[in-house]
Amino acid sequence: MARQRDTKGEDTGTDPKLGDISDRLNDLSSRLAAEKSLKAKADKPIMQYQGASDYSKGYRLASEFIAGVLVGGLIGYGIDRLAGTLPLFLIIFLLAGFGAGILNMSRAANRTPPTAEELAKMPKPDDDDDEDK
Amino acid sequence: MANDPIHQFRIHDIAGPWNIAGYEISFTNSALFMGITVATITGILFLASLRGALVPSRLQSIGELRDGLIDNMVKNVLGEEGKKFFPLVFSLFSFVLIANLLGMFPYFFTVTSHVVVTASLAVFVVLLVVVVGIAKHGLGWFKLFVPHGVPMAILPFISLIEIISFLSRPISLGLRLFGNMLAGHIVLKVFAGFVVSLTALGVGGILGAIAPMAMAVALTALEFLVAGLQAFVFAILTCVYLNDALHPSH
Repeated sequence: MARQRDTKGEDTGTDPKLGDISDRLNDLSSRLAAEKSLKAKADKPIMQYQGASDYSKGYRLASEFIAGVLVGGLIGYGIDRLAGTLPLFLIIFLLAGFGAGILNMSRAANRTPPTAEELAKMPKPDDDDDEDK
Repeated sequence: MANDPIHQFRIHDIAGPWNIAGYEISFTNSALFMGITVATITGILFLASLRGALVPSRLQSIGELRDGLIDNMVKNVLGEEGKKFFPLVFSLFSFVLIANLLGMFPYFFTVTSHVVVTASLAVFVVLLVVVVGIAKHGLGWFKLFVPHGVPMAILPFISLIEIISFLSRPISLGLRLFGNMLAGHIVLKVFAGFVVSLTALGVGGILGAIAPMAMAVALTALEFLVAGLQAFVFAILTCVYLNDALHPSH
């Protein structure tokens, strides 16, 4: 807005009234920009379900895990039905489905991998090894 | 029976059945409420966009807020590239949200409490991910199942797990919405049933019915929260999965 006024050739600095207005406009636009960047920051963690209640988080993790095991078991059973080797592939794919369920769950719990700084802040995993001895 | 908590989910024919091409097809209460859902969405959006005032009225605000929410979500998760998917995500979100909320009316049928409906929506989303992924990246899209930096020895095993993990998405997506709506409505009905059967016992029963009555009121509020939340989760997971189609590298 202030620039538009400048191109018109008006000297905003000398006119006390207009100068005041353009200052206030500048102030407003900078405040708006600051708020926008703040809002963009606040919008970011939408991927991590921060707004979701604990109940729905728990339900979500459980359903991810169950779906993995279920699909693994179904695929294994399907192959066995076709090939006639009943327990073999069911067992293999059930185990793979278990792994997929864990993978699903860990992805659902933490969609974005931690940054290097966050990793440095985390406690080291070998901390409680000494206590066990 | 009025006290049967499952009775509300029964599907019955309203018109039909007709025999079309060897299949028995009828217009059920589920189809009726799907139609009501779509009509409600269309009606609200039509009325909301009718005036187009600079200072929005309450109804216009509803439309604009819903639009803004999904627009933000699509932009945040998919980036500018994902703009094309806005209509899809918006439709899915609106359908699930309005179907959930319509189910909160007494005597109304909850469309999303049937796994057939939610699973169809979920399978559609995941099939779309596959189609868009292959159309955009060709066969290179299948690198999604081959993570970086994995030793060759365990790569087949990891790929197998990744594939199962991918295939389990429609199940978890559909199952979660279905489970939430089914469980919520059954629990609500069971507590309401306690109130009815306790009040039949006389004065002591009426006093005893206060607790389940309070519970039913609280659960109703929770169900409204769940209805909105599950629609939101469904929409955002659609975005997250579509993100895999657009940017397959993990």
